[in-house]
Amino acid sequence: MKERPKILVVDDDVDLVAVMKGTLESKPYEVIVAYNGKEGLEKAKKEKPDLILLDIMMPVMDGFNFAEQFGKEPSLSKIPVLALTSFSESLGQPFPFQVAEYLRKPLKPKELIAKVEEHLKKKGS
Amino acid sequence: MVLKIDNVIPKEQPAREHTPEERALVLRLGVYINMRWLIVLMIVLATLVSSRVFHIGFSTGPVYIICGIIAAYNLGFVRQARSLQAGEVGQVIKRAQTSGNIQIVLDLVMLTILLHYTGGIENPFIFFYLAHTIAASILLPQRTAYSLATLAVLAVTLLILLEYYAVIPHVNLVGFVLDSRYKDASRVTGVLVALATLIYGCTYVITAVTGELRRRQKEMVRLRDQLLERRTMELEQASSEIVKLEDERRRFVRFLGVVAHDLQSPLVATQSFISYILDGFTGKITDGQRDLLERGVRRIDGLLTLITDLLDIPRIETGQIAREMREITLNEVVKRSLEGLDNLAQQKGIALKVELPERPLKVNGASRRLQQVLTNLVSNAINYTNEGNVLVRVTENKSDVRVEVIDSGIGILPEDMPRLFNDFFRGSNVGSKGTGLGLSISKRIVEAHGGKIWAESPDPETQKGSRFTFTIPKK
Repeated sequence: MKERPKILVVDDDVDLVAVMKGTLESKPYEVIVAYNGKEGLEKAKKEKPDLILLDIMMPVMDGFNFAEQFGKEPSLSKIPVLALTSFSESLGQPFPFQVAEYLRKPLKPKELIAKVEEHLKKKGS
Repeated sequence: MVLKIDNVIPKEQPAREHTPEERALVLRLGVYINMRWLIVLMIVLATLVSSRVFHIGFSTGPVYIICGIIAAYNLGFVRQARSLQAGEVGQVIKRAQTSGNIQIVLDLVMLTILLHYTGGIENPFIFFYLAHTIAASILLPQRTAYSLATLAVLAVTLLILLEYYAVIPHVNLVGFVLDSRYKDASRVTGVLVALATLIYGCTYVITAVTGELRRRQKEMVRLRDQLLERRTMELEQASSEIVKLEDERRRFVRFLGVVAHDLQSPLVATQSFISYILDGFTGKITDGQRDLLERGVRRIDGLLTLITDLLDIPRIETGQIAREMREITLNEVVKRSLEGLDNLAQQKGIALKVELPERPLKVNGASRRLQQVLTNLVSNAINYTNEGNVLVRVTENKSDVRVEVIDSGIGILPEDMPRLFNDFFRGSNVGSKGTGLGLSISKRIVEAHGGKIWAESPDPETQKGSRFTFTIPKK
């Protein structure tokens, strides 16, 4: 594992992004943020993050579309994606590609860190 | 590869069926042709009988020749009638009428010649002119029928007058009638007038009847087409309305999605912020602060559930469940639902038991929705049970799978029973936990699957707590 793994947070909620960024940066993580799927995809291609936290319901390009585009990029397919869903979203809709794990919002900071660590470890091993 | 259309569509197939009028005309023409065979036979027989049996003297040679000619052209008409049956729609009537016209004129000529060789006015078969008149009236339009009637009257009059004035020789039927009758002016006039009257009379009556029939057939076809057109229009209208409704439904469901997102996002964010404080990311907090913040989180949790429930109802009622239905194994759904509830049961010190058949129970269902029902029933059972156990039992019969959730809890008051599945109903013997929508949503989900849900309290077997049962039809 890298010294400071790079994590891409894709979510349209500015406040949530801010606290997630703060939480993750309190640990040895480098955090990049994107506020919609389109931006997220561009940053993913450019920055090659080690893990992506992806909100499902977003304007411009939602998580489903993001995931579809994302799955088409062979260089990105190894990056684990943790999908964030709130209560009534994503109901009954199959995800177009394999998401490492679904995390239900609201997510407690300790849980968030634990999950990120778990999947980074899994990827590194 | 280019597909040759000529090979795909058989050419001989008519574009559409013949109309009733066309079919009737072709049929009548056929009858007329068959009748001609019969008449040829009758002429031959009558000639044989009158010459051999009654010894009436006339030369039979010309009669047989005429019979031969009639038979020959009749063969031609038989062939023509066949081609007419396979003929192209729209041209059948015109072709059939032309053919009928030719046939009748030919027959009139033949009859007149035949009559000349068999005694002219002396021959009682002179009244056979009527046969052609009848055929013309049935087959052809009124005006043509009258023309042919006139032609018949003219032909017979011409024959008789030519014989009367000795322009052509008269053939006497020796031994049948006295010679010289054909020269009796009053008799000749009488026969001609009677025949002409009969011919015109028949034409009048028959064309009137067949004209009416033809009108009715046309009217029938018109009504049928009108009805078809109206049906098609109604169908088109109905289907466009369905498309519109489906469009509205889709827009509504999308709207609900946005509403859910926009209502829940700020709450979710707020909860995250509070949990950051609770987890100590912003420094130490006092017990009093923690208590208040935790109450806040619980209230927001309740509100999030309420929003989810409220938005679930219109989703279900607009038929969303039917869209989510697949063939699913109910065993899996039950297992998955209980996984999430084990913790809750353990916290309360309640044993959560499952009785599930080994073999897979296939049903047509929305697995996430059925999981929602089970989670609701089992978490209710756990919440309202303070000691003892909660049992989930799955059984099957011929037509459906039955799921029972049995608890040994506080039970349901008899007066609450009728309102149990109503929106916003909360039991009188429980604190105001929950939204009061759980059971009413469960009922909607089960009914959308074609199943039933009901409650019994106390459980008839254990005489304790309550039992909730729902059924899902088997696949």
